[in-house]
Amino acid sequence: MLRSDINELLTQTGPGSPMGELFRQYWIPALLAEELPENDSAPVRVKILSERLIAFRDSDGRYGLMDEFCAHRGVSLWFGRNEESGLRCAYHGWKYDVTGQCVEVPSESDNGNFCANVKLRAYPLVKVGDILWTYMGDPAKRPGLPEFEFANVPEDQTFTSKRWQESNWLQAFEGGIDSSHVSWLHSGGLKNDPLFKGTKANDYNLNDLRPFFEVTDAPGGLFVGARRNAEEGQYYWRITPWIMPSFTMVPPRGDHPVHGHFWVPIDDENCWVYTFDYHPVRALTPDEVAAMKDGQGVHSRNIPGTYRPVENKDNDYRMDREAQHRGEFFSGVRGIAIQDASLQESMGPIVDRTKERLVSADAGIIKARQKLRKAAIALRDEGVTPPGVDPAHHRVRSAAVVLPQSEAFIELSQADLAVRVGVPQSSV
Amino acid sequence: MSGSGTADVATGSAPIRPILANSCARATSAAEARFRIDMPIVGRRAARVIALDDGAAGVLQDVAGMPWNGAHFYTLAGTEADTGDLDDLLGRIELRGIGGSDDSLIDALRGADVAVMVATAGGNASVAAVIGYACFLDGIMTAGLILDDDGGGQLGPTVTALRPHARVILVTSDAQDIAEVLIALRA
Repeated sequence: MLRSDINELLTQTGPGSPMGELFRQYWIPALLAEELPENDSAPVRVKILSERLIAFRDSDGRYGLMDEFCAHRGVSLWFGRNEESGLRCAYHGWKYDVTGQCVEVPSESDNGNFCANVKLRAYPLVKVGDILWTYMGDPAKRPGLPEFEFANVPEDQTFTSKRWQESNWLQAFEGGIDSSHVSWLHSGGLKNDPLFKGTKANDYNLNDLRPFFEVTDAPGGLFVGARRNAEEGQYYWRITPWIMPSFTMVPPRGDHPVHGHFWVPIDDENCWVYTFDYHPVRALTPDEVAAMKDGQGVHSRNIPGTYRPVENKDNDYRMDREAQHRGEFFSGVRGIAIQDASLQESMGPIVDRTKERLVSADAGIIKARQKLRKAAIALRDEGVTPPGVDPAHHRVRSAAVVLPQSEAFIELSQADLAVRVGVPQSSV
Repeated sequence: MSGSGTADVATGSAPIRPILANSCARATSAAEARFRIDMPIVGRRAARVIALDDGAAGVLQDVAGMPWNGAHFYTLAGTEADTGDLDDLLGRIELRGIGGSDDSLIDALRGADVAVMVATAGGNASVAAVIGYACFLDGIMTAGLILDDDGGGQLGPTVTALRPHARVILVTSDAQDIAEVLIALRA
């Protein structure tokens, strides 16, 4: 249960809102690099944190992200021409560079002062890995670039997709730290999905449907450990890191690539889900990449030319009751990503958390909400930099380990939870 | 949304049947949310919050003064969990009520639906075994909150003592987490 005022605080991320200002302390994904594939490629509309923006890549390969609308008459620059190191409005030819600076007003060509005084709000846009990241906060407080391992391994070791989710970011993110649903909702995937199946870990998952949890603070957020019975005298631990504000990693399975998510608010009723898979020490195989592109694992199969999943609320997520009865998909919905999305969207655009009935196993969610609330208020009232801004906080991994029953996961797993270049993930 | 009644070529899935707006997943809009049944939720009436050591008892003194839906707060009247078998110990553990009456452990847990054990890192949490056993016998949900102020090396034995007996353990340096968790659980 969460008070309605706190629910509003956590779910509203527009300009000036406490949570919106919190998000604006971080580098966050703005779009995939594939959306701006070459110099002078078509501009892309981007809406994040309730701001409508336009992204483009100019003739010199520089990325720009700025106000979508021309300063002249408010026309969308999506209709513009991306040419000769700038984006030119299709209406009257006003032209902007990647910093949002107006560099040409054809009707006032003899008035350079006018042009110099026209500048659209713009944000930096930087490629790290497969993602173009932006920072929408105070330029004086801009942190170092993201150091998440998935975005910094060689190109052939990582793959990122994205999908539109029609719900507030928080209920989507909360699924990422809710390990107890995996043995139920995703039980079919553990047996059948090419990016999951065939590991000892799946036996542990499916043989113990009532995991115990341990939640502990981390410099950038939390570690959520879920333990299940393993062999005599041992526990199987799955450890999920959360780095504020909305980065989570799924514990690995065998030698399968490691995956995770970054949830980015589009507005208060929609979010982007960036989903990655990477392997710390080897290239992804062609079969693995093909499976990811086909929406297997935690990725989605999208409608061609869009980032909207094929299975979406307009077609009831292509519910397949026969597959549900066969046990192929526990919920009858295909794909792990859409199994999550279908249920999280069913909660409504912003779930009313005053009506929920949490249980003790939800402690990770309870703690995460509290950390977000406290960080947002500390930033608003005292200017305190929140956890997760420091790039050093990004250098964590998820882990899956078998430990003696008497040992605490957090003490034995410190090395497993840290990025170690050239060392594979700790997995079972 | 209305569907054509034809099989989907891309996926080979079953034909989409015509459906009403409120009988499909589109009914997740804010407008449709207004039609959800709006029944008052009765708060959890039977939370039991038990301090396992003196440090935790001090913290619970403050928390117990907040308004609750029926949560009862206790400290241990004595630590006698180090010797004897669990069935024997079960009848010997006495609890001192904070702002309420004293009870035996058995009486305190009668009718409870969650037992929250609160400990401090380095404190003696051995009684968790008895409380956990009692909760197991009665099917009561368990949780453990461990306050670890300095993040030092005292945590391990406390976690180890609680681990087999708490469905979830939250380790925190923030004493406010106790109230936060209890509020979230409607205690």
